[in-house]
Amino acid sequence: MTSLFRIIKFALQGFFRNFWLSVVTITMMLMAIFSVTLLVGMDYIRQATIDGVEQKVDILISMKPEIDKDKVETLVSDMNGLSEVKSVRIITPEENKVLFEQSNLDDNTKKALEIFEEGENPFSYSLAIQAHDLDQYVIISEFAKQDKYNGWIEDSTFRDYETFVEKINNLAKMVNKYSWYVIAVFSLISIIVIFNTIRISIYTRKNEIMVMKLVGAGNWFVRMPFLLESTFYALAAVLIMIAIVYFVISFLQPSLNTYFQGTQVIDLSGYFRNNFLFIFGVQFLVLSFLNIVSTTIALRKYLKV
Amino acid sequence: MIKIHNLSKNYGKDVHALRDVNLHIKPGEFVSIVGQSGSGKSTLIRLLIAEEKMDSGQITIGGWEITDIKNHEIPTLRRQLGVIFQDYKLLSKKTVFENVSFAMEACGFKSSDIKKTVNQMLSLVGLKDKRDRYPHQLSGGEQQRVAIARSLVHKPKLLVADEPTGNLDSINTREIIDLLKKINNLGTTVVLVTHDRDVVNSLRGRVITLEKGYVISDQENGKYLL
Ligand SMILES: Nc1ncnc2c1ncn2[C@@H]1O[C@H](COP(=O)(O)OP(=O)(O)O)[C@@H](O)[C@H]1O
Ligand SMILES: [Mg+2]
Repeated sequence: MTSLFRIIKFALQGFFRNFWLSVVTITMMLMAIFSVTLLVGMDYIRQATIDGVEQKVDILISMKPEIDKDKVETLVSDMNGLSEVKSVRIITPEENKVLFEQSNLDDNTKKALEIFEEGENPFSYSLAIQAHDLDQYVIISEFAKQDKYNGWIEDSTFRDYETFVEKINNLAKMVNKYSWYVIAVFSLISIIVIFNTIRISIYTRKNEIMVMKLVGAGNWFVRMPFLLESTFYALAAVLIMIAIVYFVISFLQPSLNTYFQGTQVIDLSGYFRNNFLFIFGVQFLVLSFLNIVSTTIALRKYLKV
Repeated sequence: MIKIHNLSKNYGKDVHALRDVNLHIKPGEFVSIVGQSGSGKSTLIRLLIAEEKMDSGQITIGGWEITDIKNHEIPTLRRQLGVIFQDYKLLSKKTVFENVSFAMEACGFKSSDIKKTVNQMLSLVGLKDKRDRYPHQLSGGEQQRVAIARSLVHKPKLLVADEPTGNLDSINTREIIDLLKKINNLGTTVVLVTHDRDVVNSLRGRVITLEKGYVISDQENGKYLL
């Protein structure tokens, strides 16, 4: 108990009384976890972009004008029977009319509606169908082409995004493939940087270590404060990282929201909030582990005295 | 107190730092070890505190044969000796009080005992009012007195000092030597390595002279020979 208290005391003394050494060490560690956090954030942005686009993708099936609500609902329940289908939304003729009126088509085109009488609606039902996965749209569109529905369906379109989605998807696959290399290389560099930083910091304090040994301190009594101190470095680095992330996000999130027109397609702050413990907890644990291992190795030489 | 038998220590093949040294130092003695630079004085001290391993021969300290001492026993040995060095070897980021208390904390003494003993030792060396200073805020002589206080907290039977006055002026040297004599009078065996002629001659005690690793003279009431 007393010795635990002493170890904590010495670790704190070592941390604060070698202030600039601690600052340098923490800075190096901060750089290491900064690059990792950056990668994590970019990975989320990539994934969120794809998800956001996927959400907007659907197949729009326009029914023939004479098709009534019963048939529409039959088709809906058939569609819902498909495992590929995530959701089916019915757009009523009234909604279609409103959509047409609100669309950014020019006024002359809109005037075409005037030939219809009040209460008459030239629009028909349509269905917006979403799949779970981009690859599944082909299956759904094949399903809609069955003879059974021939007389019902006017037209079925895969809305706009097709090529865009394809591009994003290919990009994502490539990034996925390479992001592992990038993470691996970054991790390796970080490990080397951290190991050497610790080694230099221990080297700077080698006299201290040897003096402790000469006045009769046992190896563990010398080692423990250094190990504890190295977890303080990890803690400080992660805390600063959290502050940086918080600041960056509070600047970035509003402009992301403007870019995506209010829909929080990329919710960076939510992402970091929901995965807070995981992201920063793992950073702290891994960093502490690296520091402890590096410290143990670096100390070995000087403990021999 | 110390028995040394046929002790030899080489560095590499060609440097014979100590050759066939035989010594017997009795409890309560005040022994000076003199010799030119490179004659093996520090090597002898390093072997006594197990900072180095000997090549052949035996050393017994207070009845404990440390010839083949295990690494994990070294702290125990050092807690029974007091050691002081020319460069003081204080912890620069610790205060005077903390430097002295560290040696006791490392042994797991109770905090109340530590406080009492450290204050007592700081009074003995006359530094009680400077207990909160850092080493760089002290003169050389004061730093050495801190080191002496630290070496005494275990109440050692043996104090070894490797040129403790090597960096000090004559006034500070006088103070440190007087302090060592005082400690010796309280019953501690003192082994003092020095090449200060005046110090040796004023002590009028036993003088052992080393040359090229050999003991070339060992005299009661000796003088500085070289
Ligand atoms: N670590 C070492 N490696 C190699 N040679 C050493 C080492 N330490 C001391 N020596 C050599 O051993 C001899 C004795 O050194 P030392 O005991 O320090 O002498 P003194 O303290 O009497 O000046 C010298 O020749 C010195 O150069
Ligand atoms: Mg020497």
